[in-house]
Amino acid sequence: MKLNVNGKPVEVATPPETPLLWVLREEVGLTGTKFGCGRALCGACTVHVDGKPKRSCVTAVGTVEDREVTTIEGLAPAGGLHPLQQAWIEENVPQCGYCQSGQIMSAAALLAAKPSPTPEDIDAVLSANLCRCGTYPRIRQAVLRAAAALRGETP
Amino acid sequence: MTALSRRGFLGGLLAGGGALSLGISVGGCGGGAAQRRVARADQTGEFAPNLYITVLPSGVVSLAVNKAEIGQGVTTGYATLVAEELDVPVESIDVHFADSFPEYRTSFGIQQTGGSTSIKEGFGPLRTAAAAAREMLIGAAAASWGVPAAECTTADGTVRHAASGRSAGYGELTKLAARREVPSNPRRKAPGEFRHIGKHGRRVDARAKVDGSAIYGIDVVRPNMVRAAVVHGPTFGARPTSVRDDAARAVPGVLDVLRFPWGVAVVAEKYWQALAASRQLEITWGAGQTAGFDSEELRRAARETKARGISARDDGDVETSLGGAAATAAAIYEAPFLAHAPLEPQNCTVEVKGRRVEVWAPCQSPSVVQEFIADAIGVDRDDILVHTTLSGGGFGRRGVADFAAQAAMIARRVQRPVQMIWSRESDMTQGFYRPQTTARLRGGLDAQGRVTALDSQTIGQPIIVDQGLGLRAAFPSALPKALGRVLSNSALAMFGSGMISEPFATEGVRDTPYRIPNLRVELTPVSTGIPVSFWRSVGHSFNAFAVESFLDELAHLGKRDPLEVRRALLPEGSRPRRVLEAVAALARWGEPAAPGRGRGLARHSSFDSEVAEVAEVEVIDGRIRVHRVFCVIDCGTAVNPDVIRAQLEGAIIFGLSAALDQQITFVDGEVQQKNFDTFPPLRCHECPEIIVQILESDEAPTGVGEPGLPPLAPAVANAIFAATGRRLRRMPLQLAWNEEAPK
Repeated sequence: MKLNVNGKPVEVATPPETPLLWVLREEVGLTGTKFGCGRALCGACTVHVDGKPKRSCVTAVGTVEDREVTTIEGLAPAGGLHPLQQAWIEENVPQCGYCQSGQIMSAAALLAAKPSPTPEDIDAVLSANLCRCGTYPRIRQAVLRAAAALRGETP
Repeated sequence: MTALSRRGFLGGLLAGGGALSLGISVGGCGGGAAQRRVARADQTGEFAPNLYITVLPSGVVSLAVNKAEIGQGVTTGYATLVAEELDVPVESIDVHFADSFPEYRTSFGIQQTGGSTSIKEGFGPLRTAAAAAREMLIGAAAASWGVPAAECTTADGTVRHAASGRSAGYGELTKLAARREVPSNPRRKAPGEFRHIGKHGRRVDARAKVDGSAIYGIDVVRPNMVRAAVVHGPTFGARPTSVRDDAARAVPGVLDVLRFPWGVAVVAEKYWQALAASRQLEITWGAGQTAGFDSEELRRAARETKARGISARDDGDVETSLGGAAATAAAIYEAPFLAHAPLEPQNCTVEVKGRRVEVWAPCQSPSVVQEFIADAIGVDRDDILVHTTLSGGGFGRRGVADFAAQAAMIARRVQRPVQMIWSRESDMTQGFYRPQTTARLRGGLDAQGRVTALDSQTIGQPIIVDQGLGLRAAFPSALPKALGRVLSNSALAMFGSGMISEPFATEGVRDTPYRIPNLRVELTPVSTGIPVSFWRSVGHSFNAFAVESFLDELAHLGKRDPLEVRRALLPEGSRPRRVLEAVAALARWGEPAAPGRGRGLARHSSFDSEVAEVAEVEVIDGRIRVHRVFCVIDCGTAVNPDVIRAQLEGAIIFGLSAALDQQITFVDGEVQQKNFDTFPPLRCHECPEIIVQILESDEAPTGVGEPGLPPLAPAVANAIFAATGRRLRRMPLQLAWNEEAPK
């Protein structure tokens, strides 16, 4: 099966019903996407498929053949940081950090669709991503900061 | 730091700069240590004055952290302490986790992360270790330049002599520095000289945690490694009586299906293969140790029991005081079992090589991991090397190591490195829970509304009884194993039978700073067979809810302001009173809340810190909504203020999840909540605005990770009363609101 992950073609030989999450982690070797619940409840496994956020733990790999899959490792050009990742560092968001790949991927999809999100927009989208450490107040700030940076404004 | 590296740990051990026993001494080098230090510097160019700090020839300072990073920021904290005294930028320090060597057993005789102790424990010794390294580097430079050491200064990893204009980077000085004697009492900076402590906030692990490169336990990959998925029984201790595994074994990649105590493991080349095959298993389970247990029955029995408890404190004469009180009140407060539910499910990677075992574990205590594995597969704990990985949350769950024991049992059978990963359902149903607890309270007021008597009976399961292996881990290896077993078992038996009052069940009440002349605290121990353990803030998590809610009831009974009632019980100028007054000022206590909203106040002392909180709450269409939480802490010297603020935000949100919505219940011994849909953590859209203030202090640091949690639930419950007139005495509060609604 041919996949396109972070802009690169990848060939994998798993049954089509295999969850994309484990294909990414074990076959492609990208471990930034995390396993949290296995039932699309926590959002730790969020990746983009054709730019839209998807819970990779319940996404059969067969459904993403020939589509663009983006993981946290591919969000920014190699060695660089997406404005969201930069904002995450500046707002000191991560604690344990385990949910943060998923949070950032959800936020990136939001900003792509809505460059100037309201706090309510941010809550609505990011309420799909759990954080047990309680980094929500900083996530809200970081998304606003990154949105401003993407619009070319200085926060 | 771009990644938590592993550089230097073995070198550090070989250099043997003397065990830096945190809290004991930093010098402590025999002659052999000095020779090894010099030999290593000559061979590798690395200067390792102790087991924590290594200066590489590149000038990079490498730091071995003998704690787990579970999100609390200990890597940033320890890097800050070392950077301060070594005069290097915090972010330049290369942090890695110390492996399980006896020298790193600096916390209750074991290597562990818990009890909000890391900064408190490391504050003195790590600064001393860094200051010693700095003095040796200065001494090396001064001697080579022929100038007095006192004329040299350090900054940004460089020693300078202003008068001669000379300078040398630390990396150039390693061989000479290694030849200097380790000073046992180096000069440390006075608080006024601090450049990083009290200021630095940026986490050293942030970059790796936003770009996907951070390696957690679940991300470990070893050569030739196989993966295991595990199916656990419905009740604790249930063993598989029959297993039909033909279909599972037929799944490509599957290597074996193993029965072991607690479950059935499917081992495959890849986890996705093991996972798919595990769904093909048909298993019949025997009855486990908890079959028949019903948590609702326990709740009813605890409400109805007339049994008294064992005394933990008895001041004055409670009965006489209550008998003569101007007004009295009595109430029962209840808290459920709770799972920790860290977002990274339990997992562990183990390789068994004959008698030797190597482990990669997201754990809070490598020493406890050693003890669990030694017990499970019969090897010597000193033959088990544990590498601590990053943890996706801990909250106390990873202070026990049942998961490591299971991975080791599988690895021994498979004879290849095994990574075992639990499902979320296993993580939730195979927990070591915060025990369900009932508190029975009575209180009395004098004619002025002052609290003159408090009678507190806690009915709950002593967690220490389930910590046998943790306790045994603290026995030195030199003692006979059988002796450790007997001593720990008999101690636990005494706690379990109520011969001794278990300390965690009554913490926060027994040692309250409130000056109540007649105070009785008792514990009635319960035994259920359900594994229980440390859950963020431990006994404080329910005791603060009971006492601080009940004080609010007493305040209203006496028609006095809840703030004033508490102030009157705390000595003027005392730490708890300062914190209480600060939160009142921060939240503008006394000004009316917005229409429809209520404000509640609570304070609590825990882990040597003081926290007070004010919650602002509204009930909208039957849903409890917390709009704002004000929080003030006195935690002594605030090493990384923004990390502390984040910890308090986190404790408030973790506490609010539990206070409002979470519970673990048992029916016929089976956990009813199996994933995040029925054990819901707070989500972003329900997160309150949180305003944190850290009181200025030059005192030694005290706990931070846990103390923000205990006052939250009572502050919310008190605010609900203020907003609606309804007193909720049972967590989760939303359930109590729904079930106890006036008909």
